[in-house]
Amino acid sequence: MIDKAVDTRKVRGGKGLAGIEAEVDEILDSVQTITCEATTSFFDAYSKNPNPAVLASWLETRCWREIDYVFLLNEQIRRYGMGFQRNHITLLAKQSFQEAEHYEAVGKAVESLGGIVPTSVPKAAVAWSTFLWECMDRHHLAAIAAWYVSETSASGSFAPTFEGCARHGYNDVIKIYKQIEIDEKFHTGLGRQVLSTYAETDEDREEILRAMRGMREIAWKSFTPEVVAATMRAA
Amino acid sequence: MDLSGDRLQTLPLSLVVADLHEAASGVVSLILRDVRGVVLPEWAPGAHIEILLPNGIVRQYSLCGDTGDAEQWRISVLNVPEGRGGSKFIHEKLAKGDILQASEPRNNFLLEPAEDYLFIAGGIGITPLLPMIRRVADEGRRWTLLYGGRERRSMAYLDEIELIAGGDVFIRPQDQYGILDLKAVLHEHTPRRLVYCCGPGALIDAVEEQCAHWPKGTLHRERFTPRTRETILEDGEFEVELARSGRRIRIASDQSLLSALEDAGCKITNSCRAGICGTCLVDVLGGVPDHLDDVLTDEQRESGKVMLPCVSRSKTPILILDL
Repeated sequence: MIDKAVDTRKVRGGKGLAGIEAEVDEILDSVQTITCEATTSFFDAYSKNPNPAVLASWLETRCWREIDYVFLLNEQIRRYGMGFQRNHITLLAKQSFQEAEHYEAVGKAVESLGGIVPTSVPKAAVAWSTFLWECMDRHHLAAIAAWYVSETSASGSFAPTFEGCARHGYNDVIKIYKQIEIDEKFHTGLGRQVLSTYAETDEDREEILRAMRGMREIAWKSFTPEVVAATMRAA
Repeated sequence: MDLSGDRLQTLPLSLVVADLHEAASGVVSLILRDVRGVVLPEWAPGAHIEILLPNGIVRQYSLCGDTGDAEQWRISVLNVPEGRGGSKFIHEKLAKGDILQASEPRNNFLLEPAEDYLFIAGGIGITPLLPMIRRVADEGRRWTLLYGGRERRSMAYLDEIELIAGGDVFIRPQDQYGILDLKAVLHEHTPRRLVYCCGPGALIDAVEEQCAHWPKGTLHRERFTPRTRETILEDGEFEVELARSGRRIRIASDQSLLSALEDAGCKITNSCRAGICGTCLVDVLGGVPDHLDDVLTDEQRESGKVMLPCVSRSKTPILILDL
């Protein structure tokens, strides 16, 4: 019986991550776990006192991430795209388009819950956004490495999001995140392929690990139950 | 020819025919360069490219030049008079200076690390093996080549092979030696030796039979089966049967399988449409997929049971999908 599961970490590319793959995968595993736990914690707390404004507030940060990815990916192409194969420019642009669709879709969900779609960086997303853009300035692969971690972390949130939203009948939110879940597979596969294709030197690999470790630290700080509780209090 | 965006996306390179000459009787060798003079993408031994000929035919050819030469690629084409136009066009119409659209190099025939290699080539099947032999020789590893062909003058690159140091070479034109004596080289499994074979279907079948009970992963082969390939790849068309309804769909050479399935009303989850995300995976019930994706494992590919229709195609005239 053939295993039909597709693992985007095994996407074919170059050998640029050889020697650091174990740490790369360890970072991805840990960030997925913490995001899963935090999302579960959020919906457990939410169930005790369901309030659509709280869910809207929780989604606002995620909504901002979608549009920030659009800005980031386009800047990535503008600054560094000519060093990439043309198919990768196309795929990064395609990802950007999908992130814009996600911003629109999550925005509708936020509005349907009585929230306001962010048009500037929400406080809860400042550290995340600032770090991503710092990575962009540092190295041509650093921002990609950082969003690769961030996108992977999102994949840890899907199952508890579907379960939590189903509990409260937020079917539109589930539908939106089902599509995002599909697209994340593309985004994480593309991230891995770009990194493994273009990382050439030890300096490249160190910058990739620095970005990934940094984004994991932010994920740990962003998704703790305490932060979630603060989000709920603020809402 | 009306090319869809999908097709052009898979053939992003514009190459100029910088040189074209006879490599052996019935075999023409093409030197290809980027029209803008920029360096070409890297490739590894075993890689092939897909080329759109000016007459609208799409064909796949192994890269057989120097992997370290980023300025130019070399492919070689056997004239198949009974074919439906691909090789005939190249041999009779293609000229120096012509422009061809081509894909990035793809590799379904990777050279795996080993201490010792046995290469078995039949005719034009020498093309993917030649860069492998050079690589293995450069790295100082042990290698043996058994190379058969109809007659010596029809066998390409004998002069180049002669210059590669370190291996045991057995050139066996059929008019002098008869068919290749596979039993002599494949009579028993040699630990830490990999076998790479490329050539006509009958040769591959015979090699597979000899190695049938050898450990998995020992034999690597790429088929050059003229009858099948001419049917499928001369014009790139094939048919898909939807098993649940029995309906058949014709997939044009310039159409992605996924697009054709969608046009036929099949709803298939997808995202990248580039062979990366794996979300469009479908079950294959019959036929042999031509895997062009970047994400399925070797085991999944070799099983022939699943495929990604966004980029992959068919090696057989009909594919039966669980749709």
